[in-house]
Amino acid sequence: MATPVASSAMRETPPPRDGVIIKTEDLWKTYDMGAAIQVHALSGVSFEIERGEYVAIMGPSGSGKSTLMNLIGCLDTPTRGIYWLNARLVSELSDDELAYIRNKEIGFVFQTFNLLSRASALHNVELPLIYSGMPATERLEKAEDALRKVDLTDRMHHKPNELSGGQRQRVAVARALVNNPSIILADEPTGNLDSATGEEIMALFERLHQSGNTIVLVTHEHDIAAHAHRIIHVRDGRIERDERVE
Amino acid sequence: MASLSQTASFPRPRGARLMSHAGVWVTSREAFWIAVEALRAHKLRSFLTLLGVVIATTTLIVVMSIINGMNLYIADHIANLGANVFIVHQWKWAQGYEAWLKAQRRNKPIRIEEFEFLKENLQAYKSIGADASTWSDNNTARYQGHTLYDVDISGDTPSMIDIGQQKVESGRYITDSDYSHESMVCFLGRDLVDAFFPNVDPLGKEILVRGIPFRVIGFAQKIGTTFGQSQDNFIQIPLTTLRKFFSPRPSLAVSVQAWDARQMLVLEDEVRALLRARRHVPYSEDDTFGVNASETIMDTWHQVTGAIFAVTIGIVAVFMVVGGIVIMNIMLASVTERTHEIGIRKSLGARRRDILTQFVIESSMLACIGGGIGVLLALIISKIVDHFFTSTVPLSAVLAGLFLSTAVGLFFGIYPASKASKLDPIEALRTEN
Repeated sequence: MATPVASSAMRETPPPRDGVIIKTEDLWKTYDMGAAIQVHALSGVSFEIERGEYVAIMGPSGSGKSTLMNLIGCLDTPTRGIYWLNARLVSELSDDELAYIRNKEIGFVFQTFNLLSRASALHNVELPLIYSGMPATERLEKAEDALRKVDLTDRMHHKPNELSGGQRQRVAVARALVNNPSIILADEPTGNLDSATGEEIMALFERLHQSGNTIVLVTHEHDIAAHAHRIIHVRDGRIERDERVE
Repeated sequence: MASLSQTASFPRPRGARLMSHAGVWVTSREAFWIAVEALRAHKLRSFLTLLGVVIATTTLIVVMSIINGMNLYIADHIANLGANVFIVHQWKWAQGYEAWLKAQRRNKPIRIEEFEFLKENLQAYKSIGADASTWSDNNTARYQGHTLYDVDISGDTPSMIDIGQQKVESGRYITDSDYSHESMVCFLGRDLVDAFFPNVDPLGKEILVRGIPFRVIGFAQKIGTTFGQSQDNFIQIPLTTLRKFFSPRPSLAVSVQAWDARQMLVLEDEVRALLRARRHVPYSEDDTFGVNASETIMDTWHQVTGAIFAVTIGIVAVFMVVGGIVIMNIMLASVTERTHEIGIRKSLGARRRDILTQFVIESSMLACIGGGIGVLLALIISKIVDHFFTSTVPLSAVLAGLFLSTAVGLFFGIYPASKASKLDPIEALRTEN
């Protein structure tokens, strides 16, 4: 709905209104495959997400949802377009600045958990705080708090290989929460879990949403996406549909 | 209106600082345990990885220890001329080969008259004495059918008991009276007493020195050995007696003892001036004699050890570089193995410098552990060598070894760490372990 804004006029775009935590305008991600062939993973994606929303981004494989997730999660920068995150223009940041944003604003939850296998649960949760430069006592306090929120304090000192799949994902969620991020970004969080455990995790997300967290879920399964309160359908690098569900 | 100010108000991340102090400490601890675990997990690989650094460190420390031990030994046994003593002799000891050749042609022995001259004219010394050794194939001592060969026979002045190494164990030393009367008396070293008089008091007995009878007036305390050579195999007779019977114009070693180290330097200069004047040595020419003090001996010794040390440094450097390259390769493999982990860390907010620091510290720790092993090995080897020869491990060697290994690890770890830091997080996360 937003009018496309040429990148040269980027500097004159207004910041999003209060309460909008994510605003993208005409995001493009293009890959040069050589011999003047370009592949557009995203072709002009624009949307807004408000603080406290629970949004699912859904689409089949190849739809560009992973690319979109990487952009939202500041793992990558768009070829063209604007991305506001928490009132900061993050679409043109340097590597170091992106790292800072990821550390402070984004809480990732991955399908394959992505925990450090040689470190305890507590140390895994601590990690973002280490990269923030927080001193030890504060860190441990916050990490324990985060583990409490996911009901895993009794397993703090276990290594990932001593935990079940569901417990590992809960550690990942605690890690995502520990630095008080603006958004929790979950990529197929139940993909490697059985349906019962998957439901537990989705219930956890619901609890987190009730506590006021903004959650962005990326998935290709409708059953999972249905847990969210809004689904953005992505196909062929564009937003196909943006529906509210309750 | 949005403008650059939006990005300008962006708070600078902890840009200038590498990592907060908390981060570096945690990273170091983490890196240490990661390095230890990696070593434990792949023992053979670890052994090979650290071999270069271990060998280099061990070599460095063992060589330094042996040199150190020898320095101490030489200082104690050879350079130890006595407290504040220097010795004037025909030759300057421990000089280079060319200098020695030149001296062969020019230098003249110190004669008794010159000794008397110095004794008269040198100012304020504590003590002055002289001794002359006699070199011959026939340096034998005999007592009741028992013969000792190759005994060190010397003629001494009475003052030598105060200056020289020998101390009276029993009896007395050569007196002024003995000296002026050219008495046929002798002072024995422990070896002769043990050989000739194992159960009997030697005092008053007569022994044949080079076939000539001498009466034993005293014997010395045991001194010991230097480089395996016994220092107790001597007979000392009055210098005048030596001149009378064995050596008509003996070549003397004049020992001068000063009151303190500073005065010793003054006296050395005086002796040189007096002798040069007496011998009419022109200003432009070198001395025709040698003034020998502990420093000269130690200096020459240091030249020798300096050369040995230089070669050692070369060897150590080669092993360190080889060891460093091996560590670099292992770290490259490690980075490849842990690409996924690096992706995770980056997704959590690790900047390039955080990843770089982590891996540099890891390789430094690895190398440091290698250095530590080298230190332990060196301590063991040094103990063994000391049993047979001499070796004392100086703290400086240990610190140098550890520091050097860590530095090698740090330097050779930079390239792999740099590669790790430049990984694209998305690609890295996609990589499977």
